Amino acid sequence: MAEEKTTETKTVTPPPLPQPFEIAILPLQNTTLFPETVVPLAVGRERSTRAVEEALATEEKLLACVTTKTENVTGDDAKPGDLYKIGTIVNIKRMMRNEGIMQLIVQGMDRFEIVEWTAEQPYLKAKVQILPDLRRVDDEEIEALKRNIQGMIQEALALLPNVPPEIRAAVMSQENPVQLSYFLASVLDLGTETEQKMLESSTVDGLLTLTHAALAREVEIMQIRSKIASEAQNEMDKSQRDYVLRQQMKAIQKELGDDEGGEKAEAEQLRERLEKADLPDDVRKEAERELRRMESLPQAAPDFHVIRTYLEYILELPWRKSSEEKLDLNEARRVLDEDHYGLEDIKERILESLAVVKLRPDSKSPIILFVGPPGVGKTSLGRSIARALGREFDRLSLGGMRDEAELRGHRRTYVGAMPGRIIQSLRRVGVNNPVMMLDEVDKLGNDFRGDPASALLEILDPAQNNTFRDNYIDLPFDLSKVFFIATANQLQPIPMPLRDRMEIIQLAGYSDREKLNIAKQYLIPRQIKENGLTGDQLTISDDAINLITSRYTREAGVRQLERTVGNLARKVALKVAQGLTEKVSITAEEIKGYLGPPRVYPEEARKELPAGVATGMAWTEMGGEVLFIEATLLPGGSGLTLTGQLGDVMKESAQAARSYLWSHATELGINPEIIKQNGVHIHVPAGAIPKDGPSAGVTMSSALASIYTGRKVRSDTSMTGEITLSGLVFPVGGIKEKVLAAHRAGIRRIVLPDRNEADVDEIPEDVRRELEIIPVKRISDVLDAVLEKESSDPGLKSYFARNLEAKADGSDRPVTHDI
Amino acid sequence: MAKSTNRYFQFLGSSKKAQVSGRLWYPAADVYKVPDGWVVKVELAGVSAEDVEIDIQGNTLIIAGCRKDRSCVSGISYEQMEITYSNFEKTLRFPAPIDGAKLDHMFENGLLIIRLHKGQ
Repeated sequence: MAEEKTTETKTVTPPPLPQPFEIAILPLQNTTLFPETVVPLAVGRERSTRAVEEALATEEKLLACVTTKTENVTGDDAKPGDLYKIGTIVNIKRMMRNEGIMQLIVQGMDRFEIVEWTAEQPYLKAKVQILPDLRRVDDEEIEALKRNIQGMIQEALALLPNVPPEIRAAVMSQENPVQLSYFLASVLDLGTETEQKMLESSTVDGLLTLTHAALAREVEIMQIRSKIASEAQNEMDKSQRDYVLRQQMKAIQKELGDDEGGEKAEAEQLRERLEKADLPDDVRKEAERELRRMESLPQAAPDFHVIRTYLEYILELPWRKSSEEKLDLNEARRVLDEDHYGLEDIKERILESLAVVKLRPDSKSPIILFVGPPGVGKTSLGRSIARALGREFDRLSLGGMRDEAELRGHRRTYVGAMPGRIIQSLRRVGVNNPVMMLDEVDKLGNDFRGDPASALLEILDPAQNNTFRDNYIDLPFDLSKVFFIATANQLQPIPMPLRDRMEIIQLAGYSDREKLNIAKQYLIPRQIKENGLTGDQLTISDDAINLITSRYTREAGVRQLERTVGNLARKVALKVAQGLTEKVSITAEEIKGYLGPPRVYPEEARKELPAGVATGMAWTEMGGEVLFIEATLLPGGSGLTLTGQLGDVMKESAQAARSYLWSHATELGINPEIIKQNGVHIHVPAGAIPKDGPSAGVTMSSALASIYTGRKVRSDTSMTGEITLSGLVFPVGGIKEKVLAAHRAGIRRIVLPDRNEADVDEIPEDVRRELEIIPVKRISDVLDAVLEKESSDPGLKSYFARNLEAKADGSDRPVTHDI
Repeated sequence: MAKSTNRYFQFLGSSKKAQVSGRLWYPAADVYKVPDGWVVKVELAGVSAEDVEIDIQGNTLIIAGCRKDRSCVSGISYEQMEITYSNFEKTLRFPAPIDGAKLDHMFENGLLIIRLHKGQ
């Protein structure tokens, strides 16, 4: 098939060089035209236009183009001296006029050299000589340069994105090195000077060397550019990528319904709440700082949620919100009476405290400590106080708490940190002036893990607690408006500094009469109601109630009593529900049928005591109890044996009692030989119950004196008091409970240390009236009061006598003391 | 192709447009086979017969010459020019040698028609 060959020009034998001829010259600015390339040209200036028109009016359409040496000479002004001598003859292939400008497409033909200028006006004209084709000097060098140039072009193309492969092929397939050089010179912006040098080059070698240098420079520039561009691109790509991913994440979260609008919205919600909240300035400042931190965090960051929880806590705390005080003392009195029977002194003291609050509303709230046995109404008193004051009430049980962080919170740096119980409670009640009950402060733990009692010191100190700093919140909170009420069963375990901060109110156990009244007025109606009965369906006689309190319950308070009453009520409710009966009235005789045999056998006063047994009184958490101290001689033995789970203090007081009696034997009417020759054993039943304390001193003395003298202890008398080695009797605690217990046991004579006389006032009047109370100062007073006049046991008398006779007969002379 | 190459070189900051070309122009040509040889038609309007040279070398037919603007006279002014006036060349390679073929040519309606008769 026929085929076109476009690149092979050599097939035409070069014609011999023509003679110099005259031709129109077109001066060019900033542009150099090369042979064998087609380029567009725009011509607008008058002289140049004339030159072109002249050329167009010839058969050959040829024009000679030369470049001006300097840029600032325009085509119209250019003098022959401003122009290079060597240029290119072009054939004008196309011409269009467009608004006075001639648009030309010209094809470079041959290089020429100006021989002689022939005219400058109306256009430049010169006699020119066509220059011969380029000579090849060293074919190998030409080939090497050509390959290098092609390599560089390839490099340049690789740096350019999206070059179609056919372009690459087209450039690479350009076989003619001269054409390639001229083409590159035409398209690259090499500068007039370099371009002109390339045009003037008369050998292929020279031209290629120049091209090579120019191209190398271009490629280097390109590489740098491309590097800069790609770095900038990388930078942009990364931030753009982050942005896109974030947007996508937001969209996904929205789709999942996790939250409306992601972290931004969450932070905004918090900000809104923050702006509306009534916060002290320092709190607001801190909260805003945290919020800003939160806004800068991505939602996935662990800190984000920590901060959110923290901020929510801060916003929910009642920094300035108080409940309105409606303090009417008469109303308070009424509330207290309604909720509690008796407790006159305690109500009085509570009302006194409330009166101060009423008169000085800005004063620090008092801190009250109720101490008393279980079930006497400490917690419900706290509730009544809150009701009387019209304040919120919250109760914290401190029993068994051993970590101070429970009270004061964990620092936020810990995972799962939470505020302490105090702050939690405040958030729960929502006001900053609640009545806060700290239950069981005597049962706070205290070991290496922490000491919550010490944390309470700050909380309960009115001078410090206006800037209470929870570890979690880490901002001062004013606790001074909180009405703290603490409760405890015992005073001793509470550390002194803590006890010192509170106003201590002791609640003793109730007497049987009080229990009877409480049962009639509060417990029975309440249980009737709770068990679905009506008032007249169940009546319990007073005797029955007394029987319950003495034989079925054993307590200082009324909790068991209430439970037992409830038990009765349920049994009655069953009968009523079964339709067996309409109404039940329970008497003392019927109790056994309902509740079974009595469960409690309190120590009752023994009708007659043998020598060596004395009645004492003990304080227990359940109230008071009567106990018997038994002493017996061990003939031929020595020393003192003590049994019955006695503590050190009790053992020591037994030793003190013996030593005192021994040292004062004669004056107390005791034969010292009996003490010397016999061991003695003291036992305190019940043997399984641990006992301790000094208050059995007088009882032990009495028992010992009884066994040594043979005189019995009066069975209608019980006693308590601490003794000293010099024979003094010291006061002891728990008088009310002890006396009540003795009274319950049927004892009517009570021996007490005289310095305990003040406590006698606490004993209910009705009980006191039935008692003979004997205050004592010294052990000798005790013995006078409790020992029967004569040793009444004939057996004991004979025993003594025999012992003494044996001594007289023996080698050992009895020691006699001079009086 | 060269045009699109330019586009890429322009990217380097060059505003120049250029195209590789020879010094000549290449007229369009049709070639077809007839029972007794070949017919070649070349688009050579405006070319005088005396300005055309036809040569055979082996299996190659070379048509070369020059289109001159015969109609122009001094003093005219072109408003538009789209016809190329310069040297041209057309090289046609045949699948078989054409040496010795009898060749005649004629101009007809601006076309140069060359007939190659198989030589006897």
